[in-house]
Amino acid sequence: MATAALRSQVQAKWNEGFARLNRNDPGITGLMTYTEAWNMATEFLRPRHVSTPNPIQGAFAYPVVRLPIMLEVFLDSIADNFHLIVSDIEQYLAQYQESGNTQVILQLVFRLVEWFRKWAPIDELGPTIRSAYTLTFQTRLFSVLPPQFLPGFKALCAASLEEPQSTPAKMWESFEVLGMSDRYEGIVAGVGYERIERYIREEYAGKWDVQVLAALRTWMSKHIVAWMLPLYARGATNAEDAKGMLANVGARFDFHLNKTLCELRTSEIFDIIIDYPESEGALKDLKECMQRVDQRAALIQALRRANKKRLLHPGADTKLILSQYVATIKCLRIIDPLGVLLYKVADPIRRYLRERPDTIRSIVANLVGEDDGGDSLVDENDTPVPLAPPDADGFNDPNWEPEPVDAGPEFRANKPSDVISTLVSIYDSKDLFVREVQVLLAQRLLAITDEDNTPKVDKERRTIEILKIRFGEAAMQVCEVMLKDMADSRRIDNSVQDKNRTVVHPTIISRHFWPALDSSDITMPGQFQALQQAYAKEFSTFKPDKRLRWLPHLGKISLTLELQDRTIQADVPPLEAAFIELFSQKNIWTMDELIAGVGPVDRTAALKALITWIDLGVLKEDQENVFRLLELKEEPGPAPARSIAMAVEEPTLTAAEQQHMEQMRVYWKFVDGMLKNLGPMSLDRIQGMLKLAPNYDQSLEQLGVFMDAARVRGMVTVKDGIWTIVSE
Amino acid sequence: MSTQGQVSLAAPAARPKQFSQDAPNASGSVTKRLTNELMTLMMSSSPGISAFPKSDGNLFEWVGTIEGAPETIYSGLKFRISITFGPNYPYGAPQIRFETPIFHPNVDISSGQICLDILQDKWSAVYSVHTILLSLQSLLGEPNNASPLNADAAAIWDTPEFKIQLMKHYRPFTGTGLLSRFL
Repeated sequence: MATAALRSQVQAKWNEGFARLNRNDPGITGLMTYTEAWNMATEFLRPRHVSTPNPIQGAFAYPVVRLPIMLEVFLDSIADNFHLIVSDIEQYLAQYQESGNTQVILQLVFRLVEWFRKWAPIDELGPTIRSAYTLTFQTRLFSVLPPQFLPGFKALCAASLEEPQSTPAKMWESFEVLGMSDRYEGIVAGVGYERIERYIREEYAGKWDVQVLAALRTWMSKHIVAWMLPLYARGATNAEDAKGMLANVGARFDFHLNKTLCELRTSEIFDIIIDYPESEGALKDLKECMQRVDQRAALIQALRRANKKRLLHPGADTKLILSQYVATIKCLRIIDPLGVLLYKVADPIRRYLRERPDTIRSIVANLVGEDDGGDSLVDENDTPVPLAPPDADGFNDPNWEPEPVDAGPEFRANKPSDVISTLVSIYDSKDLFVREVQVLLAQRLLAITDEDNTPKVDKERRTIEILKIRFGEAAMQVCEVMLKDMADSRRIDNSVQDKNRTVVHPTIISRHFWPALDSSDITMPGQFQALQQAYAKEFSTFKPDKRLRWLPHLGKISLTLELQDRTIQADVPPLEAAFIELFSQKNIWTMDELIAGVGPVDRTAALKALITWIDLGVLKEDQENVFRLLELKEEPGPAPARSIAMAVEEPTLTAAEQQHMEQMRVYWKFVDGMLKNLGPMSLDRIQGMLKLAPNYDQSLEQLGVFMDAARVRGMVTVKDGIWTIVSE
Repeated sequence: MSTQGQVSLAAPAARPKQFSQDAPNASGSVTKRLTNELMTLMMSSSPGISAFPKSDGNLFEWVGTIEGAPETIYSGLKFRISITFGPNYPYGAPQIRFETPIFHPNVDISSGQICLDILQDKWSAVYSVHTILLSLQSLLGEPNNASPLNADAAAIWDTPEFKIQLMKHYRPFTGTGLLSRFL
């Protein structure tokens, strides 16, 4: 079908092609020469087993060979012969699996390099061929390397990091030749990271006294950087060059170092805080790490979790919680001076402390230095500053800094104030503290029994002066009055004693200014009463407009009992003294008679007082609740089983609580009055009507709780939010 | 900013002063006295008497409750009273009426008016809500039959018939029912 024109065209092409291959040689001799050259070249390039010698390079001219086609043939033959390498790899890996010796892997790497070199085309073929070869070889290699190779490789790197001296310099070079440097860079870096992690954990866990970050960096540049230098700074011609190449990877390692240290310290943070101030180094490290690594959230989480688990539970002493809280404040201030971390961590602690009944007492006890010598929350060097509302927006602060991003909207910058202010701010008002200070002061003043109370009172006065600076003059006024009462008592006592010497030394207090003291209605019998009356008489001549109301149960009495065969000296509480006074009337008393003799006392308290005398060998319980005075000493026989087991003393309420209860009792009367007269009411209306009660300051929620408590006791009922009094 | 602050601070500081000057001083002291009396009354635990202001905004209108003292003929019965204080209190006696119908020689059965000397000519500023309530409570058991408002009652006092008449007129009150009368 082909036309003559087409035929002639094909003919011309053929002739042209043939002429090119034959190169105008006569006949087909040109073609023959070409075939010979091709065969020689392919034979020369044919991949051989690494153990067979290379053929001698023949004297032939590559240019005659058509390169692209030859390259294709060459690469194909590599693929065909790669099984040789595969079997080699399998052999080595089997050996490694068996021995676990990383040297085997190193041998394998060297062997692979040998293969690579053996098959490499000579340089005369030009860079194109060489790079094509390298690419093909590496692709093939990585595709046949079995998964077991990677752990081996990693182990090899790790081993070389452990003992850099025994690592042949050739190793890194071989990695480079085989393209492993690039491909397994992550693994190599991972080995470095793991080493850093292990080192930090082993060396620095639990060591918090000094800053370690600098030492760590030195260690890293000495060990890790030196080790990876051949990998990352390959091809660097001078030190400057190498530095530039290392900068990037160095930063990554430094980051990892920071991160690891940060994680370690984060996990230890609770104990670090316990150890403060010995752990300051660790805290400074942490601060520095935090600037590089964003671990703030993790730190907050860790600390909150640790606090919840280890601190904020019923087993922890309030004092302990407070001191840990104070340490937390100080520590977190080091890490984050702005206080965002603190704010987030402190919140649960503060909330917990607020629920603890003895928190205020503990803080106040600390304020007035009740436990001398113990760990004081307050640093002596802290200058007391007045409690003042902080300048929240910092308008006047020339060094104002913006809040960190994780501050959150409710964060209020907590200007570095002293610890006491922070503790006092746990509660919304300082009134609670002031009240508690009053109660504590009262207790301490009443505990003074020395005839000359001046030195001890002066000590209290100093404390109050310090507290005045914090809480203000007005808040401490009541305390002032109490102190004045003490001085006055002494003065009055002196004048009374001058006129009429007596053994009674009362402390005369102004009822309105002292916190409610537990009252007791016991009356002192016999000579005690006579003494009291005599004193009261003297007092009334001295201060005719005032009258003494005795609180005998708060006193202390030094007694000398003169019995037939012995005298006994004893310092006892008033109830004990009152009982023994009764025994001077007759020798045998029953419990009920005794109680009738002194006025209303709790049986348990009475029994306790009597037991004091039984223990002193003065009384004997002949039969249940009948006591006999032992005028003559008796050997203590087997004590009859006591009628009542010693009752556990009821926990005394804190003064603030007592005052609260007292207040609520007043409010209850109002509620009772309004519900009785005005009929059932809603909570809102009750709240409104309670405005008529003096100083009513409870919120609607608090009232709700209060009413509910009344309901539980059966004093009111509620239906559809309307409260009704239960008439008795 | 600063000028605004000054203005807004100054204005409220000035106003209350004017108010307190304008308002009758007497009213302030009466309120104070009544507040104190309320406190005293609430804190005194006299059985069977109580009273409370009708609303927190007006201390001049109170509601009271009197229970008959034990071992009197009124024992176990409760009576509502209303107390209205005048602006001249305590120099003038408060007006007191029984809201619960009570059959009693000295109380008008329909209007609840009381005939008691200390509430009329014998009033003195030393009396208080507390003393008035106590007097009323004792009046129940010991009527002054010499000057009766309710002659029928005075006539049958000390006869068994009295108790029958008393119970016939007595209406025990429920809180809500009474409240609605006041609202």
